[in-house]
Amino acid sequence: MITDVEIPEPLAPLPGATVNTNQGLLQWISSVDHKQIGIMYLLMTLFYLLVGGLLALLMRVQLMVPTNTFLAPDSYNQLFTMHGTTMIFFVLTPAILGLAVYMVPLQIGANEMAFPRLNAFSFWISFFGGFLLYFSFLAGGAPDAGWFSYAPLNQTQYSASPGIDYYCIGLLLSGIGTVGTAANLVVTIITLRTPSMHYRYLPVFVWMVLIDAFLILAAFPSLNAALVMLLVDRQLDGHFFNTDAGGSALLWQHLFWLFGHPEVYIVVLPPFGVLSEVFQVYSRKPIFGYPFVVGSGIAISLLAFGVWVHHMFATGMGNTVNSFFAVSSMLIGIPTGVKVFNWLGTMYGGSIRFTTGMLFATAFLVEFTIGGLSGISFAIVPIDWQLTDTYYVVAHLHYVFLGGSLFGLFAGFFYWVPKISGRLYSETLGKWFFWLFVIGFNLTFFVQHILGIIGMPRRVYTYPNLAGYSSLNLISSLGAFLMGVSMLLFLYLLYDTLKRGKRAGDNPWDGYTFEWLASSPPQLKNFTLLPPVYSFRPLHDLNHPKIGDYQKPDEEKYGTKDVD
Amino acid sequence: MEQKTLIKLVVGSEAIFFLALLMAFVYFTYVPVLNPRVASSLDLNRTSLFTVMLLSSSVTFWRAEVSFRRGRTKQLRLWLLCTVVLGVVFLVGQGSEYSSLLSRQLTVSKGTFTTSFFTLTGFHGLHVLIGIVVLSIVLYLTFLGDLDDPDSALLPSVGIYWHFVDVVWAVVFVIVYVLPHFLTGHTP
Amino acid sequence: MEKLSILPSVLSPASAQADRIVSLTSYFIVAAAIVLAIVIGSLVYVVIRFRAKPGDKEPAQFTGNKVIEGFMIGVPTLLVVVFMYLTLDTMADVLPPEEDTRPDVVITGHRYWWEAAYPGTEAIVANEIHLPVGRRLLLHINAADVIHDWWVPALGAKMDAIPGRTNHLWVTITKPGVYDGACSEFCGTQHAWMRIKVVAQSEADFRQWVARKEKAANPVLSASAQAGAAFFSRQPCGSCHRIRGTAANGAVGPDLTHFASRKTMLAGLMENNPDNLRQWLTDPQHVKPGALMPRFSYPKDSINVLVAYLSALK
Ligand code: HEA
Ligand code: HEA
Ligand code: HEC
Ligand code: CUA
Ligand SMILES: [Cu+2]
Repeated sequence: MITDVEIPEPLAPLPGATVNTNQGLLQWISSVDHKQIGIMYLLMTLFYLLVGGLLALLMRVQLMVPTNTFLAPDSYNQLFTMHGTTMIFFVLTPAILGLAVYMVPLQIGANEMAFPRLNAFSFWISFFGGFLLYFSFLAGGAPDAGWFSYAPLNQTQYSASPGIDYYCIGLLLSGIGTVGTAANLVVTIITLRTPSMHYRYLPVFVWMVLIDAFLILAAFPSLNAALVMLLVDRQLDGHFFNTDAGGSALLWQHLFWLFGHPEVYIVVLPPFGVLSEVFQVYSRKPIFGYPFVVGSGIAISLLAFGVWVHHMFATGMGNTVNSFFAVSSMLIGIPTGVKVFNWLGTMYGGSIRFTTGMLFATAFLVEFTIGGLSGISFAIVPIDWQLTDTYYVVAHLHYVFLGGSLFGLFAGFFYWVPKISGRLYSETLGKWFFWLFVIGFNLTFFVQHILGIIGMPRRVYTYPNLAGYSSLNLISSLGAFLMGVSMLLFLYLLYDTLKRGKRAGDNPWDGYTFEWLASSPPQLKNFTLLPPVYSFRPLHDLNHPKIGDYQKPDEEKYGTKDVD
Repeated sequence: MEQKTLIKLVVGSEAIFFLALLMAFVYFTYVPVLNPRVASSLDLNRTSLFTVMLLSSSVTFWRAEVSFRRGRTKQLRLWLLCTVVLGVVFLVGQGSEYSSLLSRQLTVSKGTFTTSFFTLTGFHGLHVLIGIVVLSIVLYLTFLGDLDDPDSALLPSVGIYWHFVDVVWAVVFVIVYVLPHFLTGHTP
Repeated sequence: MEKLSILPSVLSPASAQADRIVSLTSYFIVAAAIVLAIVIGSLVYVVIRFRAKPGDKEPAQFTGNKVIEGFMIGVPTLLVVVFMYLTLDTMADVLPPEEDTRPDVVITGHRYWWEAAYPGTEAIVANEIHLPVGRRLLLHINAADVIHDWWVPALGAKMDAIPGRTNHLWVTITKPGVYDGACSEFCGTQHAWMRIKVVAQSEADFRQWVARKEKAANPVLSASAQAGAAFFSRQPCGSCHRIRGTAANGAVGPDLTHFASRKTMLAGLMENNPDNLRQWLTDPQHVKPGALMPRFSYPKDSINVLVAYLSALK
């Protein structure tokens, strides 16, 4: 029944196919291979995670006790700006791009991205964008107006150091790279799937990447336009956002959040996809409600463009405007809930293997729901009027960024590291890392909800010794150090895996999708032959012909059968 | 197929970029009432002329594509050349508009109208320039004989971009030049 | 609504508006707790019940169920509809439009201090702002430079102060007391020390207070304070600070007419006492780095007489 089919390739012959992979650094720099570029993206992510985390630890030292003088106010302001900017643009964004660039061709049964050179170009331009951003430290001061750099604080008369110029150019470059990779991913998914892989058979991760890429294409131009205008203001003495000369402070906010809100879903949808794979494979069951999981992803991405004003509820735009955006923001909870419950449904009735990856996925369900619920509390406008710009927001954003995106990415890391490195990690180390990280995370950020509620604004370099402030901040700082320790353990784990890890074999988890058919690590040419696809678990069909989905009618493959 | 899809995606993304710049322009010059300086500062007549040039370059490009599909390399070169020349003429026109504005001290930093005007039209001009460079390269390639395969996606891909640049200008022209004149009752 | 919280917080309201928000918040807390309990509860059940046991074969491969999906969509939708209604209702109550009412207070955020003017009176004060209890007040919120944000948790909603526009807030204070607040939009180096103190007092006390603030500074001055006054008027202080009744008429820094009647100085940074004042005048950039007051390097004596003068401005 199962026959082999030809693998689609990009139009141009595979560049680099004749290059020997053992030529060291030069070979990496000149590589156009999607796997090497994916790995470089992930290494960049890890590097910036450590740097951004280090900045956070410095901040937490300063905030450990009231009226601390460890850092000067301006240094603190640069730190949180760089921390937020780094984490969003140079950790989460390249992480999802890196995973997508590595895994999408493998999962759809292709040998390359549609445009391998564009792929390399996009990576390197993002890479240098990050470089430039950090160069600002040497060039007279890092940006210091927060990751969303509100006008008119971002104007030269209020922020004279060149930091914000570096911010503009750094983000513009990495933004161009991100758009390039997104377009590349869309074309790859549309044109290079193995011929029998209909859209209804796409792995959920690929679906989420596809949706995500469209989100990027639509959201980043708005940021790029805002940055260009800001550069015109700062370099050519323009007046877009210069309120002293007729410019508008709110125009910046609209343009920024028109990008900024979709961006938070941009960095969470691919992790949702990763989790969908992880839940299936470790529960030994197909995903529950495939069409609903995919459909809710589409719903989220559409709603994402209609909620940006929820970051501006306290700007005095009037109740009519606010009501509209309150409603759209609350609505996003519905498709997100659909995902959460479908993942629970995937675990239900399974035979769950609690590897480190699965532990992260399980913890994700709790942490992300907490973060999502605090998000809904902001959508309830009067609550936002009280809590916006306090530590409650800081708590929300870390619960969704770490508890959501980063936990998803860690789940993906442990799930795929045997594929990428060809070696198994030590579950003991993995579990130590997991528990330290999760405990540290909750210590650090849970108390920040309370800090916000008792009146602590965000972005303060220090605070008066009011009731509750010092003990809660101390707990938060200790939690942060625990996370720091766990990250050191993670580095050791990585080293241990690469140096001492046992050979993983091609399919250590008995996975469901095509990347597990390739060798571990995959060769330069991923596949020579592939079986045809009859369901969204083609490899499961191949390896478990008795219980495979291929023999079932569609409504059974998707759980859309009418129930009597 | 792959190239064309890519260009369509990029162009769609660019469209949103221009929309943002356009929104800024509209916000600063139309809200709460149309700034009367807009109509009186800009030269509708001259720009109409150059607009016609740019739009007709879309027609010449379309002829180039037809010639290409029919394998008529000579015609192809001619039409491409026309397209490039029309694009250059448009840029020269834009340059003359800029220099007359600057000579009246209407610089980027004069006010929100000039800031948003120069940014919007400047970025459009940059896109025209990029288009001209790419078209010149294509023209050069026809001499190298690299464009003999009538199924090549190169020309249609460049075409998507070039038509897009023209459409953007049409919208910009209407909003920046034409409407203010009608709304303020300025006779060109 | 009684106090929900042991610490002063958004859950211990002292205004009608804050009270409305607390009711809404408490409904939300209940709903969120239920949702979270459902998620965690089912997760714990699934984790215990379905963890892999040795010898497990592949479990049944079922893929979904339309009825369950219906519940997944339906129940949250109901929840959203309920909270939509509550939200719109509360919004209309807490922050209706201003409709040409004359504001009771006009508040202006400056880098890094607050100014409050009371229209219809001459009173202008900084950082420590008095308001009457029991009356529905209209606050106008403006900014002089960048965006700031007015927030006093016990009094309810916060509101951005945005250059180029005037925002408003309604406040009906229900309990006399001193309420802490802070600027809640990042506004630069000293955003952390741009705190607010609101003193809510009875209508009669409030009127008295305004009447005092309306008067020009007219203290009885000791000899050294007189020297300080003379020094002050010779120096550029008056280009940034106002002292009503003197030539000093600046608006860049806080009004100093009744400086000595403030409990704290520099927007909550420190207690207002001669020592701290001396430190501040000696080296402002050391005391509050980034504050927009330059260092003048005056001799000790001059500083001492300045301190004597400013401390007399009750
Ligand atoms: C991955 C990133 C991510 C994600 C997924 C979200 C998810 C959500 N966010 Fe969040 N958000 C951020 C990242 C993210 N956010 C960041 C970074 C900021 C701060 C930016 C800054 O100021 O620096 C922010 C700030 C922010 C604000 C502005 C706060 C302020 O500054 O005043 C608001 C306001 O509405 C908001 C709302 C929401 C909502 C409604 C969701 C929803 O999508 C959540 C949906 C999920 C659930 C609800 C849980 C699961 C659902 C169920 C179990 C079903 C049943 C539940 C119900 C129907 C209630 N977010
Ligand atoms: C992916 C997103 C992400 C991640 C992972 C984190 C991680 C952390 N964040 Fe942050 N954070 C943001 C996104 C993120 N953050 C954003 C967007 C903002 C808003 C910024 C703004 O307001 O503009 C913010 C703001 C923010 C604040 C508020 C600042 C303020 O308002 O004044 C705080 C305060 O506690 C904080 C703390 C932390 C801590 C303790 C961690 C910890 O998880 C970090 C743990 C530590 C590590 C992961 C690194 C460990 C490294 C080592 C052990 C050293 C390694 C050695 C070498 C490099 C040689 N973050
Ligand atoms: C360039 C403007 C400028 C000049 C000149 C200036 N100040 Fe100030 N001053 C400020 C600003 C701004 C603040 C508010 C600082 C803050 O809290 O961030 C301030 C604060 C103060 C305060 C504290 C007020 C309070 O309520 O907390 C005092 C007292 C003071 N100045 C006295 C003086 C004296 C005396 C001089 C002259 C020797 C002077 N200032 C000159 C700008 C100025
Ligand atoms: Cu003013 Cu922050
Ligand atoms: Cu948002």
